Amino acid sequence: MGREQIVVGLEIGTSKVCAVVGETRGDGTIRILGVGQAPSRGVRKGEIVDFETAGKCIREALVDAEEKSDVMIGSVYLGVTGSHISGFNNRGAVNIPEDRDEIFDEDFEDVQASAREVSIPAPNMFVHSILQHYYVDGQDGVLNPIGMCGRKLEADFHIIHGVATRIKNSVRCVKEVGPEVLDVVFNPLAAAQVVLDQNQKSLGAIVVDMGGGTMDYIVYVDGAVKQSGALAIGGDHITNDISLGLRIPMAKAEKLKVEEGSVILGNARPGETIVLKDETGFAGKAVEREMLNTIIHCRVRESFELLKKRLDEENYLQFLGAGMMLTGGCSLLKGINHLAEEVFGLPVHVTHAQTVSGLTSAFENPQFSTAIGLIKYAEAMQPAQPVGLFKSLFKRIPFLGLW
Amino acid sequence: MIQLHRNQSSTRDVRIKIVGLGGAGSNVLDRLLLDGIQNAELVAINTDAQALAGSVVTEKVQLGRTTTRGLGAGGDPEVGYAAAEEGIEEVRRALEGAQMVFLCVGLGGGTGSGAARIVASLAREQHALVVAFATLPFDFEGKRRRAQADEALGALQRYADVVIHFENERMGDAVAPLAGIQEAFAMADQTLSQSVRAITGLVRRRGLVQIGFDELATALRGGGESGAHCVFGYGEAEGDNRAHEALARALKNPLMDKGRMLEDARNILVNVAGGPGMTLNEVQILMEEFNRHISDQSRLLFGASVDPALGQRMCVTILSAVDGEVPANVELRPRPATRVESSPASVPPSAPPPRVAEPAPVLRVVERETEPEPEEQPAPRPAVREAVAAVARESAPIFAEPAVEPEVAPPAPKAASKEKPTLAKQEQMLFEPVTRGRFEKSEPTIVDGQDLDVPTFLRRNVKVK
Repeated sequence: MGREQIVVGLEIGTSKVCAVVGETRGDGTIRILGVGQAPSRGVRKGEIVDFETAGKCIREALVDAEEKSDVMIGSVYLGVTGSHISGFNNRGAVNIPEDRDEIFDEDFEDVQASAREVSIPAPNMFVHSILQHYYVDGQDGVLNPIGMCGRKLEADFHIIHGVATRIKNSVRCVKEVGPEVLDVVFNPLAAAQVVLDQNQKSLGAIVVDMGGGTMDYIVYVDGAVKQSGALAIGGDHITNDISLGLRIPMAKAEKLKVEEGSVILGNARPGETIVLKDETGFAGKAVEREMLNTIIHCRVRESFELLKKRLDEENYLQFLGAGMMLTGGCSLLKGINHLAEEVFGLPVHVTHAQTVSGLTSAFENPQFSTAIGLIKYAEAMQPAQPVGLFKSLFKRIPFLGLW
Repeated sequence: MIQLHRNQSSTRDVRIKIVGLGGAGSNVLDRLLLDGIQNAELVAINTDAQALAGSVVTEKVQLGRTTTRGLGAGGDPEVGYAAAEEGIEEVRRALEGAQMVFLCVGLGGGTGSGAARIVASLAREQHALVVAFATLPFDFEGKRRRAQADEALGALQRYADVVIHFENERMGDAVAPLAGIQEAFAMADQTLSQSVRAITGLVRRRGLVQIGFDELATALRGGGESGAHCVFGYGEAEGDNRAHEALARALKNPLMDKGRMLEDARNILVNVAGGPGMTLNEVQILMEEFNRHISDQSRLLFGASVDPALGQRMCVTILSAVDGEVPANVELRPRPATRVESSPASVPPSAPPPRVAEPAPVLRVVERETEPEPEEQPAPRPAVREAVAAVARESAPIFAEPAVEPEVAPPAPKAASKEKPTLAKQEQMLFEPVTRGRFEKSEPTIVDGQDLDVPTFLRRNVKVK
């Protein structure tokens, strides 16, 4: 039994900021102790646009989390997203020096550094280098080359990068509030840790997190991350569309979307209307259900089609045996899995965090998949043996199986 | 406008003449003969003697013996008009006795565009019901032809009872892009032929549920007076699933736009025909499926008939007119009306279709008036002046009716050129300013040149009632 550790995952989203406090045990399981959240203002499309306001919301969420879990939060794992973050694949290679032919740990770092020697746009910084495969002397399918003999070690990495200033903004914002940021994680990567199990990762799967400001995605093929990215379209856009199309204020539009929204066309009886209640209880405006659904359908379909276009560029869609997992707030829209199935031609499941225990209401809510995933990611980054925390974080030897 | 005294029982005995005017018109006639048409007389009218000689139709009229001398109108509607005027008597004789005249013409060139209005008005004079089938040129044929075609269409709409117009461009969509140009044009002929046969069939067949002329005309007129965009679909199928197949084929017709246009149509005419083996169930299936494509507001005119000649086939004809944007440069010129009524001999040369100086939209016609020509005419041409004045006054040139206006001739042309036509571009008008709502202050998400913050349904012009 490993050491138990308290880990906090913080996600600064467009519609809400949430902090999830969890307990990791060395054996890979996680227990959720408490979830704190606060409505998010000052964040648009996944990125902070109003520093001060966002800071206030973060504080609110953290305080809420501390109260609910009865834990003092000193450090967090921060999730980031935004359309500026993208991923690509690159191969790093390193020659084993002549004086030995066994492969050691240093070689991994060298290989990783070599993979990073690719030009990313000047304002960008690396967020992740995720290992995909090893090749020893050209041999494919090597899972763990430590101790193997070889002259040349190569590895394929999936490299995720984003604009440095924006990422640092988020980090600074959290630091201003108080806690330390232990690591910065790209949201869909975190979500995938709790939404997909190992089997699904080997079969091939895509996780799409449809949040308030962005649609993040990550593609696994044969157990390795092959493609990832974020589109700056989200639930906010749907609400905006509804608000403009039906001419109602944003708050009402949001409520309408959540309570009555559906992506399916042709389901409503012709002329069926929804009556919007006023605060005072008097019946307010009446909107046609079909109109509402049409607006939502158009927007969601377009988003899916854009995503499909991106996926078609790399052409991994055909290798996704386990299909698509939809999570995030927007996945709660009625009928969205059918629309996704139609657009992508894959089996689509609306899911939430799996393989966690503890507060059920938290992990069964797809809105918290990312935050919970951050905890799982943190846990995966920690070694099984109790070693000094900081040292292990930076010297972690990446085994394929754990990703 | 149309005489409504056609009794249903004698529908079948109606004398129908199908007139093919100009080169395209003759092609349609040839196609009709090929496809087979019964109980209708075909008349080919052309300026080009060679084309006439090559046509398989028996009754032919050559226009403009002295004007064009058998050489064709050279793509100039004015020449076509003049030639038609010369041959007016022959045309009149050819149309005699017809109760229904189907006029097939390809607009944009010389003979068709120029003569169509004359033929149509001659048929009207005889109290025949005039149904015109016109094609509009492909985009690649150039702007000038298009402009001529639009002008001729407008004129035709005034003289025919019903005008069904098809854009060649749309029919080109139905043909594979790598297909030869012959195929593209042949497609146009085919569609026209199909529609002529469909309507003839409608009129001829002894229907179980009859559709009368007035209903036909209502459906094809659309609601407004400003002319409508025609929607036509014809599908035929046999076999087990023929009801479904026939409807699918009808909807696949490029002029139907997969049924999308039907949603806007107000009156839709549907005729289902089959051999004696057609069952009620099949008709129901077809109509139920069809009903899904139309709005609740539209009026459905349903006709059904049994025709032993169809054998195993089941066919459905869908006809409607959608109130739509008239091409902005359509102007209805009442001048030719006065032309035909008065004696043909006193035709001043500036009467025929306005010379298309350049393809600028509405301004074009108005500009014409600034040329000194009208002023040179002697005063007793009040119709012309009034038309000019009326056009100048209302910048919306939909009805340039010869209103009873006092003579304002000299200042009118100048006023005309100063007035800005408000009807410049009618195509894509967003009814609200392009707004990004909540995203006003954030960085726009631009993908493939589109600003994704603007609602999708606005950008795609999806109809949200």
